[in-house]
Amino acid sequence: MPMENNIKILPKSVVCEESTLRGDITFSAGCVVHPSATIIADAGPIIIGENCIVEEYATIAHRLADGASWDASNILSIGSHNVFEVGCNVEASRIGDRNVFESKCFVGRGVTVSGGCVIGAGIQMRTVQVLPENTIVYGQQALQREAIEKQGSQTLQIDFLRKVLPNYHHLRKPNYDPKKARSVV
Amino acid sequence: MSFMQPSPVKYACSCGILNPINKLFFCRHCPKLRCGFCVCHEIESHFCSNCLENIPSSEARHKKNCCANCFDCPCCQHTLSARATTVPVVRKADESKDGGESGSDAAPSPKPSAMPTTKKMYYLSCLSCRWTTRDVGIPDQGVATGTWPDNECLYQVRFNTLMEYYQSVVLQEKQEKQEFMRRKAPKQHKFPSLTDRTGLTVSLIRRQIGWNDKSIPKTKPINITPAEASAEVEPLSEDIFTQPINLRNVTTVAQRHSQPADQPTAVNNLYPQRRSLWIKRSLRCRHCEHNLIKPEYHPTSIKYRIQLFASYHVPEVVMVRCEQPLQPGQTNAIFLKFTNPTMYDMTISILDAPPADAQVNMDAFMQGCRIKEEAITSSPLLKATGVTLTRQNSTREVTREVRDLANATIVPLDNEFVLSQRDDSKEFDEDVQAPIEEPKFIVWRKGNKVLMRLQFTPAAELQTGDEVTLGFYMQYTYVNTVSNTPDKKEPTTHALYSRLFIQAGEIAQGTAN
Repeated sequence: MPMENNIKILPKSVVCEESTLRGDITFSAGCVVHPSATIIADAGPIIIGENCIVEEYATIAHRLADGASWDASNILSIGSHNVFEVGCNVEASRIGDRNVFESKCFVGRGVTVSGGCVIGAGIQMRTVQVLPENTIVYGQQALQREAIEKQGSQTLQIDFLRKVLPNYHHLRKPNYDPKKARSVV
Repeated sequence: MSFMQPSPVKYACSCGILNPINKLFFCRHCPKLRCGFCVCHEIESHFCSNCLENIPSSEARHKKNCCANCFDCPCCQHTLSARATTVPVVRKADESKDGGESGSDAAPSPKPSAMPTTKKMYYLSCLSCRWTTRDVGIPDQGVATGTWPDNECLYQVRFNTLMEYYQSVVLQEKQEKQEFMRRKAPKQHKFPSLTDRTGLTVSLIRRQIGWNDKSIPKTKPINITPAEASAEVEPLSEDIFTQPINLRNVTTVAQRHSQPADQPTAVNNLYPQRRSLWIKRSLRCRHCEHNLIKPEYHPTSIKYRIQLFASYHVPEVVMVRCEQPLQPGQTNAIFLKFTNPTMYDMTISILDAPPADAQVNMDAFMQGCRIKEEAITSSPLLKATGVTLTRQNSTREVTREVRDLANATIVPLDNEFVLSQRDDSKEFDEDVQAPIEEPKFIVWRKGNKVLMRLQFTPAAELQTGDEVTLGFYMQYTYVNTVSNTPDKKEPTTHALYSRLFIQAGEIAQGTAN
């Protein structure tokens, strides 16, 4: 368990100060984290890919298994262009690119979300499973279907948020520049 | 209060079915309680619940009760919504136009000189399961309410010929019946014409002159090929037992049922389905044929033109609580809140047997109705023949005995009490009215509400966990403001009664004595 939070924010990402961040978290370029979103890295570092949106009251957790302790090599990697909608709770073990976690859904530990998946609103996934590419889970009975193409990227939404969020919220400053880091080394 | 859970207080409808008061109607002309089972349901208007467009009934029938513009998702049965994408279109005609498959990542046109213009294309998408018309290869449309393909099923031609055939069969049968009736009962003229006596008929004369027969040619049903049953069934494919099934490609039962014409087994055969229309109903009393419920015509309006809900006319009874835990054979008391919804004071009495003198004015009421009917049948001739012009009831009123569910005996109140009229302004009155002499059973009174205490004893043979049901008759005075007879204008007061059943709860744990 790291003693203090180690949060790396790459340039061009917008991380609100009112969000709860714990542990070793890396935000790649272009991420947007709304206020009162929660990201918890208890078991190991979390690396969030480019252009992800974490909305209000969304929780991304990398929780400790029973009896385990902080392990710097146990990385939860989250791909790019993911959307975590309001109130979702994601504890998945791996997340690929272009996924959408809709409002109030729960994705438990042991679920591997590959890419282009949509977890519908209010759906609870608790068993260990691998979601194949382009899976869409929807409806009250959590039916699954396969989409033809990946979900479109949220470029417009990200651009809008990048413009609007700084007007009303305090932001965490980007504190890590890969170019500079390279020049130092 | 008990909006989501079933109400413990049930009223017996005049047809004998028990219902909570919010599901009952009150016919002011009979005057009786009516429920959804004992009224005539009529279609007032058809409309689409998505676009709220009103559709006349003839058009609705022509369109098979489906909306022309709205579609349901074949995958999850939600409504599809049109989504727009901008697609770059290259001016030059000889340029390939395949850049429009996906709007976001279309490659820029190869020639910078050719001005790329964008064009809006629409596709349908489901917001619930993210199904799109692109999933099954339906091309995008240039207009939002595009010409989406009507899924014609394989058997459409066969269906149409069968329908035509049976329509002509019906027509032929009707003609034959008419002919038969004409031959059987020839018209009795007062003055027999010459042709009748000589046997010269019109068709005979026409034939003698040399004209062709005037009579309508008999419709012959077109021949159809009868369906043939064959014992040959397509063999199962070779890999049926070896290949694992991908359940994502197999449709669910609900998906097949939503597409009844072809009932696809594979998901790539799902096509958007036209959305079924909804209706607005008007309800009519079967007994007196007055409207009980008549909604406003416009689909966007949720108001009524006529609304005779029982909760506007019959005192509402709400169960508050029982005084003690329920024990078999032990005297208990229940608190009931009565509310008067009308603008007139009500006198209420609680009885354990139907009041003997109630509903005596029934005949007078029927008389009133009859007078109105006769006013309609103005012609004295019709009246003499006994023909009434009023519409005949399609179904008879079915009355059944009220099933007596009560398993507790109540102590009927020894005197009646008055429930004052509803006065909305009184709710805000600060001054407390001087306490008046109240009967002992009244606990509390405010405005048009009364809380009263009713003593009862659950039956001695009840077991722990059994439901205790009270049954009683509530007699109330009802002031009728409608009058059927033109000469009587002032409102008349009737003593009506309803039978109520209250589920007081379950017998509590523990021995009775």
